[in-house]
Amino acid sequence: MIELEAIEKAYGSGSAAALVLGGISFRIESGEHVAIMGASGSGKTTLLNILGCLDKPTAGHCRLECTDVVNLDDDALSHLRNHKIGFVFQMFHLLERTRAIRNVTLPLIYSDEYPEDAEERAKKALAAVGLADRMYYKPSELSGGQQQRVAIARALITDPAIILADEPTGNLDRKSGLEVLAIFKHLHQQGRTIIMVTHDQNVAEHASRILLLKDGVIAGDRAVTDPRDAEAELAALSKEDDR
Amino acid sequence: MKFLRIASEGMRALSAHKLRSFLMMAGTIVGVALLTVIMSVGKGTEQKVMKRVDTWPIRVIKVNAGGGKGYTRPQASVATLKLEDADAIRDRIQGWDLICCVAEKRDLPTKAGDRQCQADVFAVEPTYCEMQNWPVEEGEEIGAEDVRTMARVCVLGTTLVKTLFGEDNPIGNHIWIGKVQFRVVGVLKTRGIGPGGTESDNRALIPLTTGLRRLFNQNYISYIRVRMKTVHDVPGAVRKIGQLLRERHHITPPETDDFSIVTASEVAEVARGISRTLTAVLIALAGLSLLVGGVVMMNILLISVAERTKEIGLRRALGATQQAILVQFLTEALSVTLVGMILGAALGWSVSVALPRFTPVITERSWEPFALVIPFALVFGVAFGVHPARRAARLHPVEALR
Repeated sequence: MIELEAIEKAYGSGSAAALVLGGISFRIESGEHVAIMGASGSGKTTLLNILGCLDKPTAGHCRLECTDVVNLDDDALSHLRNHKIGFVFQMFHLLERTRAIRNVTLPLIYSDEYPEDAEERAKKALAAVGLADRMYYKPSELSGGQQQRVAIARALITDPAIILADEPTGNLDRKSGLEVLAIFKHLHQQGRTIIMVTHDQNVAEHASRILLLKDGVIAGDRAVTDPRDAEAELAALSKEDDR
Repeated sequence: MKFLRIASEGMRALSAHKLRSFLMMAGTIVGVALLTVIMSVGKGTEQKVMKRVDTWPIRVIKVNAGGGKGYTRPQASVATLKLEDADAIRDRIQGWDLICCVAEKRDLPTKAGDRQCQADVFAVEPTYCEMQNWPVEEGEEIGAEDVRTMARVCVLGTTLVKTLFGEDNPIGNHIWIGKVQFRVVGVLKTRGIGPGGTESDNRALIPLTTGLRRLFNQNYISYIRVRMKTVHDVPGAVRKIGQLLRERHHITPPETDDFSIVTASEVAEVARGISRTLTAVLIALAGLSLLVGGVVMMNILLISVAERTKEIGLRRALGATQQAILVQFLTEALSVTLVGMILGAALGWSVSVALPRFTPVITERSWEPFALVIPFALVFGVAFGVHPARRAARLHPVEALR
């Protein structure tokens, strides 16, 4: 469960301060699949950074499973990110010159106990995103979609409750994007909380709830009655290709 | 252990970027190699000098023609030191037991039959062989009678004999030195390379009087050697000889002496001083190059931090604490310096093994560079690594991920 209460975020200080988020409150239950939508400059990435404990709000409270993260120090936040949150970025952010499997085990380096079966877990995670045959490839040898799937496997390795994705399909073609969305759908079905930020209505409609962000405030919060089905669209896409 | 896992991330980053790592190391390698070589050359030179100095007989005082301090050579062009000065020393200085005047000329044309070469000619008194502790192998030394009669006889060193006579027995044969013919009466024992690093056996001894009047046509000598009865008499004698010669040469203190006096202790002191100063200067230079190496490493590390902000941001997002980032970058700095220093010391070692084979340089290898490397690398790596590492650790994850 994630609860935001009157979150404000300003950059700069005094009269020159620019208010990016102007008092945001909402609540996301465990297991929800939420899209945060907004035009560029609406503050959606800032909001995601606060949700991901990468940044602190100027004012307000952000509770992650009842812990107010605003009061935590840097080490505690690092610990929280490591254990509770899996990140997926628009630019993938894989380590160059490093094999896929090593990229996937990276978060475990920073956990308190390095599991003995780390490699096994990484292989499983890679297999789950359909990259069983690419485990020892380096990022430069993988396509964008494959790189993003490695990044998802990396986000899953610590078995986090929450997946935060910042424009996860922004750098991908339609098919790769759908593949990523299909994986998210699958993860959602496993009971994970998924929050993704996007400016794309088509992407957002894959989630079951859309929060609309406009100029730093929530302009809309609606449930998607009939979320799009990435798997079905993928199947349709390949049929089109066959034709 | 978490610490080791994070540290090994630093190593991984190094091995993934081999060129960058090598460039970081290069300065350190060169600096440490230079230091190692210089230390070994300095040590070798000092030992060589001290060995040479040890052969200087401690009871002997050498009065050279020409001023200057320390272990100088007699100056051939200085015409102020006369036989009368030696006579005055004989009369007025107490406690000596042997005196020998020498006039020397280097590289005079010498020939026997159709063989010719250049030889060092020493016009000496009969005390020469005893003074130098250098007996003849065969035949006779230059005798008192030879000096009195200006005899045209000579005693040759073995190198000269080999050049002029090959395997033949030279005794009784004649050689020409310049335009004067000499009869060979003796052959000196082989002595090898002399104190100055010069060949000692390419020499001809002739009577002092013969040298001055018949060959060199001069009335001055190159140096006087005075051997005292005991070593305790040396300092006093040095002072008195100085006074005596200044008096005779009409030198009053502000003027500089036209002679120089050399003794064993002086030779040792000067030699040691020279080699130490030289070593110190060179070590300072090598230290400077090591410092430059450190700055280069810090620079590359700073650039690499700037270049890797995304990586740092990612690691922070995945749960790395500031401390973990600090440890990773410090590990990079420390491994680079440690490996660089070990490589440098090994390189320096091999250079100091190779140097004496191809050059006249003498080296003496020691364990110090290797023992010093580890603590030194720790200090050095932290000193130059902590700033870039802290900069990396303090990057804000959000800024870094942009």
